Amino acid sequence: MEIICIVCPNGCRMEASGEGGNLQVSGNLCPKGIDFAKAEITAPMRSLTTTVATVFPESPRLPVKTRSEIPKGKVMEAMAKIRTVVVHEPKKVGDVILPDVFGTDIIATGELAR
Amino acid sequence: MTDKQNNFTQTASTEDIVNLSTFTSVENYDILVLGGGPAGLAAAVSAHENGASVLLIERERRLGGILKQCVHDGFGLLRYKERLTGPEYAQREIDCFLAAEIPYVLESFVVDVRKEGSGYVVCAQSAAGMKAYSCKAIILACGCRERTSRQVFIHGQRSAGIFSAGTAQYFVNIQGKMPTKRCVILGSGDIGLIMARRLTLEGASVVGVYEIKNAPAGLSRNISQCLDDFGIPLHLSTTVTEVLGTQRVEAVAIEKVDTNMNPIPGTREIIECDALILSVGLLPEIELANALDIPIDPATKGPFVDQSLMTQAAGVFACGNVLHVNDLADWVSWSGEIAGENAAKYCRNPRGFFTNKDGCVGGEPVLLQYSKADFLYVVPQYVSSHGPFPLTLFFRSREDVKDKTITLASGGVTLPSEEALQDGKGGGYISKKYRRIIPSEMEALKVKSLGRLGDAVEFRLKME
Amino acid sequence: MANCAFGVICTKKLGSLQNLLARKYPGVECFEFGDSVRLEGTLGDWETIVRCGKFAAKAGFRAVINDVSLKDFTPPPMRTPPVKDNALQGLTPDVLIIGGGVIGCSIARELSRWQLSVLLVDKEDDVAMHASSRNDGMIHPGIASHPGTLRGEYNVRGNAMYDQICKDLSVPFERWGSLILYHERWFGISARFFLGYRSKALGVPGRHLNRRRLEALEPNITKEANGAFEYPTSGILSPYKLTVALAENAVENDVQISLNTVVTGMDVEHGAITAVHTNRGTVRPRVIANAAGCFCDTVAGMAGDRFFSIHPRKGECCILDKNAGPLSQRSMGLIGLAAAFSTSKGGGIMRTIDGNVLVGPDAYEQPLREDFSTNRENLDAVMNKHLQLINGFNRSQVIAYFAGVRAPTYEEDFIIEGSRRVQNLIHAAGIQSPGLASAPAIADEITKLTLSRIGGKILPNPRFNPVRNASPAMAKLSLKEKQELIAKNPEYGVVVCRCEGISKGEIRAAVRSPLPATSLDAVKRRVRPGMGRCQGGFCTPLVAELLQEEGVESITKKGAGSELFVGSLGDKATEVYPDD
Repeated sequence: MEIICIVCPNGCRMEASGEGGNLQVSGNLCPKGIDFAKAEITAPMRSLTTTVATVFPESPRLPVKTRSEIPKGKVMEAMAKIRTVVVHEPKKVGDVILPDVFGTDIIATGELAR
Repeated sequence: MTDKQNNFTQTASTEDIVNLSTFTSVENYDILVLGGGPAGLAAAVSAHENGASVLLIERERRLGGILKQCVHDGFGLLRYKERLTGPEYAQREIDCFLAAEIPYVLESFVVDVRKEGSGYVVCAQSAAGMKAYSCKAIILACGCRERTSRQVFIHGQRSAGIFSAGTAQYFVNIQGKMPTKRCVILGSGDIGLIMARRLTLEGASVVGVYEIKNAPAGLSRNISQCLDDFGIPLHLSTTVTEVLGTQRVEAVAIEKVDTNMNPIPGTREIIECDALILSVGLLPEIELANALDIPIDPATKGPFVDQSLMTQAAGVFACGNVLHVNDLADWVSWSGEIAGENAAKYCRNPRGFFTNKDGCVGGEPVLLQYSKADFLYVVPQYVSSHGPFPLTLFFRSREDVKDKTITLASGGVTLPSEEALQDGKGGGYISKKYRRIIPSEMEALKVKSLGRLGDAVEFRLKME
Repeated sequence: MANCAFGVICTKKLGSLQNLLARKYPGVECFEFGDSVRLEGTLGDWETIVRCGKFAAKAGFRAVINDVSLKDFTPPPMRTPPVKDNALQGLTPDVLIIGGGVIGCSIARELSRWQLSVLLVDKEDDVAMHASSRNDGMIHPGIASHPGTLRGEYNVRGNAMYDQICKDLSVPFERWGSLILYHERWFGISARFFLGYRSKALGVPGRHLNRRRLEALEPNITKEANGAFEYPTSGILSPYKLTVALAENAVENDVQISLNTVVTGMDVEHGAITAVHTNRGTVRPRVIANAAGCFCDTVAGMAGDRFFSIHPRKGECCILDKNAGPLSQRSMGLIGLAAAFSTSKGGGIMRTIDGNVLVGPDAYEQPLREDFSTNRENLDAVMNKHLQLINGFNRSQVIAYFAGVRAPTYEEDFIIEGSRRVQNLIHAAGIQSPGLASAPAIADEITKLTLSRIGGKILPNPRFNPVRNASPAMAKLSLKEKQELIAKNPEYGVVVCRCEGISKGEIRAAVRSPLPATSLDAVKRRVRPGMGRCQGGFCTPLVAELLQEEGVESITKKGAGSELFVGSLGDKATEVYPDD
């Protein structure tokens, strides 16, 4: 099967064949591609980036992301959880906005000044 | 005959705007950086590190440029070896800029720029009034703008709900407003793909992405993670020909196109939706370059530059998306650094600076030749064997090609490169093999030196 | 109305028209209707219906009512605003003006010179929503009209009035002149006599230019033109800025303007309108002025005075980027012999008052009165026809395009008169090109007619001030004036629209003006954010933000139904993604 690697902008078009330990991957420019292909076949993961509401009229949204990847199938559920958040305090990049969402934290990716 | 005044954004009665005597004070800097996005921030820092006094002028309320609204990730893999979101990438650049304590002004809009003696005068408008700044060099870092529905000749009604992808992105990511419940996206540029995912995540339904060409315009990883992941179909060789709905978009008509991109009769289909979102290309914002009468490359739609990233006007440099539209912010920052460093060098010794203008010192940059059939464009457009180095040639191929070798040649001779000779890999030639080159993905060919070439008078980039 | 002798003549005319129609347009019958003739029947295509109407217009009746219907086509009903309230219920203004285009607003301002209560209603969300914002902005010199027509007469008179009006209203206006270009030399020679006669008969100054002199005036003109006739009194302005300024000044002088207000019917008793019904209540005006553009025959019909028909004539234009602006100085169009005698001038190119170039419009008959859509074939034809006139013009300079619908009668002339059937109704109807140029003169005449219909002694309005309290336009100020203005109000320093260099202060002033701009397009028509090359890509969110700040609850492009947003992020989130 064809898998497009999304790890970096090269976007390698890889061809994966075989199963489990015998998985053969070709078309990757770097080893990250093999890891990606393996994960994609067994348990695909995605990072999620979005925004949360704030109480500050000058900056009504704060950009956030999952600290590490979450299962691809849980992306919409994660969105529903994130959507309930309203930020009341100034934040810095990396501050935790919502802990423990499918095994990771939702963290700020932008500055929120008062 | 063209009237320069009228070419500029503000047309009327600005005759006295740069009459310096009308200003009570004129601030003086070596370099003015126009634009506070990734290009401008990097340019300012690099110019500052190279000893120049710098002022950065930004028209928006905050630094960071368009990255502020690009909340998705994928930035910084080259520059920071990390996968960052747009705001994170911007914040790193901003932190670095602020740490250097370089002066800057926000919400200041440049209304005029003129040559004055051997330098330039810039007039900016802000809540603080009309301010004049004089400088030895200018770095244009004003980014790009989106092509509009009008520029791709969308017909039908002019109803609410026709947005460019970047505008929709601002609505969603900055203002928290939803511009659609069910939309059609025209154009498969990266912003369109990113917005297809973003709108889907926020609960809208994206009926499909339609691309007039027979190949997607955006990165393949974005097709995969933004469309395929969410089951959003991509329709190639199909375009939107009409918008229906008098007040708000109610539907669009799509049609298949032939190889000349003309609609094929009988293929018309009506798709109900409340918005048409366009991702049909970006154009460098060259208003300030135009005001200075700087020649524009019809291929990039940005100014012609040499490898110092100086335009055809002595002391005016260009970097980032005003120079040509980049795929990656990393390249934008990188070009900012090149422009900043060279602008600082220019300020120290304008006459000794390697330039293709009057007073140049040998190794005059010459127009790089390339076949328009092979390449969409190459930047920089002027190359000199005297540097500065490293020289990185950015290019886009015209077609989707496989197994090609790109070679920089002088006259009939392919140039030996010092680097290649030293590391013994390149067989002594400045050439690089590519497994696949596609128009939507910019390629970079790095040249560490052009060796002992002397004053070469002809350069050619070849694809074989 | 029809006395005996009149009736006899009409019957005779009717008979011969009947015979001719039967031969040329089988299926069409004609009837006498007052002193007009009414056509009935069904035809298969719209152009034939229009041709049939025009044919009947030559039969010598006062006017043609063309009720021939198009086969398998039901005309869409007039679009009406969704609002329903009683905001106007029980009002008894001296004058009710129906229609907020340049004609209605000119009349409103003119009437505000007198001690009268004036109410202007328009069904749209702003004034100048139909033809008055969808034309080329040219103040024609008058040369295009036949001597003896109202179009010619009012055009020449109206043109002369614009200097003062624009000065009073602070509306930018320039007399850059216009050129009628020709290709064939023989045409130039014959047209010299023809246009020379018109010049004299109408009182329009003009001169002939050979190729050499033409080139000296317009260095970028291509070889398409071998000579030209120049008319220096031709002017150019922004038709929507003018209409808004007229409306604002009218409001400053106590005229009431009610938008989103559509007239739905009238009560007529003993030859007079006693009540006018709207979606916002019933008003009982003493006199009604019909300035309803494409719907002026509908309005006349409500009063039982439907003696003419409008046949909507659509036109499409495109706008070029400001970088093309300096390439030509004057308005110009190339004509051949056929165009010289046609009802429409066939468009051309003109440098707009804001420094862009307008190309077009074309002219074609179609049955829809409110269809402002554009289509590829028409616009391509417009560009192919006119872009070739100037070296340096090309398609890539196009930043916008739009369509408008003219409101001509079958007689192709204005109707500016008191109703012959309804004593308190006055028509400013059938206004098509050169309606903009004629507007001041039309308003003058309608005001005279109104005063005489009201009767008695009417005193001048002592509070009348012809000078509009216009908010400053940064682009027009000197550096020193800009400095002072920003010092007084820093928002004039904050640029919101980067293409046109429009400040926050200017936009806020438009939102707070006597006729507040409450939609994105209304702001755009007044102060231009979104008119530039990015077409609002950058400034739309900022203008929307400012409108919200100013208390506009629903941000729309052009009134109800054109809301920009469908909601905020997170609205009904749980509904979309149940948390299970």
